[in-house]
Amino acid sequence: MRPHGGPSALRRIVARCLLALGVLGCSASCGRGQNDGNDVEVTVAAAASLRSALPELIAAFNAEHGRPTIATVYGASGDLRKRVQDGAPIDAVLFAASDPVDQLIKTGHVLADSRRVIAHNRLVLIGPKGGRRIEWNSLDAIPEGEKLAIGEPEAVPAGAYAKKALQALGKWDALSGRMVFGGDVAAVLAYARRGEVIGAIVYATEVVGIDDVVVFDEATGDWAPKADVVVGAVKDASHARPASSFLDFLSSPKARGILKARGFELDG
Amino acid sequence: MEDPFFPVFLSLRVALTAMVFVVPAGIALAWLQASRAHRFRGFVDGLVLLPMVLPPSVIGFFLVWLFGRRGLFGHALNGLGVRLIFTPWAAVLASATVALPVLVKAAQPAMETVPRELLVVGRSLGLAPVEVFFRVVLRGAWRGVATGIVLAFVRAIGEFGATLMFAGNIPGRTNTMTIEIWSAYQGGDESRALSYVVVLTALGLATVFLSARIAPSPSRPR
Repeated sequence: MRPHGGPSALRRIVARCLLALGVLGCSASCGRGQNDGNDVEVTVAAAASLRSALPELIAAFNAEHGRPTIATVYGASGDLRKRVQDGAPIDAVLFAASDPVDQLIKTGHVLADSRRVIAHNRLVLIGPKGGRRIEWNSLDAIPEGEKLAIGEPEAVPAGAYAKKALQALGKWDALSGRMVFGGDVAAVLAYARRGEVIGAIVYATEVVGIDDVVVFDEATGDWAPKADVVVGAVKDASHARPASSFLDFLSSPKARGILKARGFELDG
Repeated sequence: MEDPFFPVFLSLRVALTAMVFVVPAGIALAWLQASRAHRFRGFVDGLVLLPMVLPPSVIGFFLVWLFGRRGLFGHALNGLGVRLIFTPWAAVLASATVALPVLVKAAQPAMETVPRELLVVGRSLGLAPVEVFFRVVLRGAWRGVATGIVLAFVRAIGEFGATLMFAGNIPGRTNTMTIEIWSAYQGGDESRALSYVVVLTALGLATVFLSARIAPSPSRPR
């Protein structure tokens, strides 16, 4: 056989591919095995509404404490709750409502004594810049064909709060068939930013530093639901200790300063 | 609580409406591609088949980009008072886009197997081109075309990703079965998701059996 013949060249390529696969497989699986020294990677499941504040919080935590690396999974709190219950490798949860955390405590997935409310949020009614202005009280009078974006009430806390608010205002039924449900609060904001909807209900913190939407109306009054940011440590987490020190950090003055700058409201 | 049957009927309505466009367009395109070597053959082939190889999210992106409110055509349509995004028509368009290539892909080879001589004979016996098409081509290729229609229909009713991006999840308006499954699952309501999973699985099984019975095969006379 010639040294550079077809079959042997092919065999060499196959061998290289297999080697590459082996290396990849090892770096993926072997990496995990070493996750107990300084190289730990804590995984935090966080509500989409924390996606702008959390990287800053993590950077501040790392600046103070050095390691560990903190990986984040963002999504709708309801959806993330399900993933924790399904056994996803998550060490701590930061949710936009108390409900999903409390459910995890009830099903024994989150440690009850780790539950803490770290901040509060408010709802605002927003719309695309230059769009027609609407208000909470005139929501049922939005023009034919126009849509209002809210979060999927079953999975997205911002949507559950929005539903509560609309029910309290007596607008929920009138808006039936005219609300498009976003898969998390980021999706709801995006609907408004793209100008696909006349209005959207999101947290006040969503619009900080965003200039293509405007706040039409704030949610103030008895009907306005209070949104809590609630954290908890996952039971039997693989990185329980670093995870809980990160959760502790979230109540520190430094973290509170960051949350405040991002538009969150704090107790005391 | 919404009517649990709404997503079922909506899915059927959306898929059937899509088929109203897909069947004539698909058959015409298949015949165009099968019958002659025109200059744009490769181009048409690519354009028609593209949705088959593109991920649904890419199709959804393009649909919003084209027909969204600030989209390329959407902007003009909006001016005319026509709004597609977030309507059942958006779901129809998404379904039709993905169903069309399925029909073309099944019908075209079937049409190509119809012997050319039969067409010539048909013409020489005084049949008009349209008659030749219906009485010779479709009669010869009906198994392939019918299989294509069945498969295109289930593809249409199964559309999810592009529909979610373009038609949105609007309960009572655009929440087809596939969207309802995702939405219920996300909200942790697995039993609600399961009921639609059962319906779609049954439909899928029925399709497999049906298409196996009608699909063209060498051992079966046409």
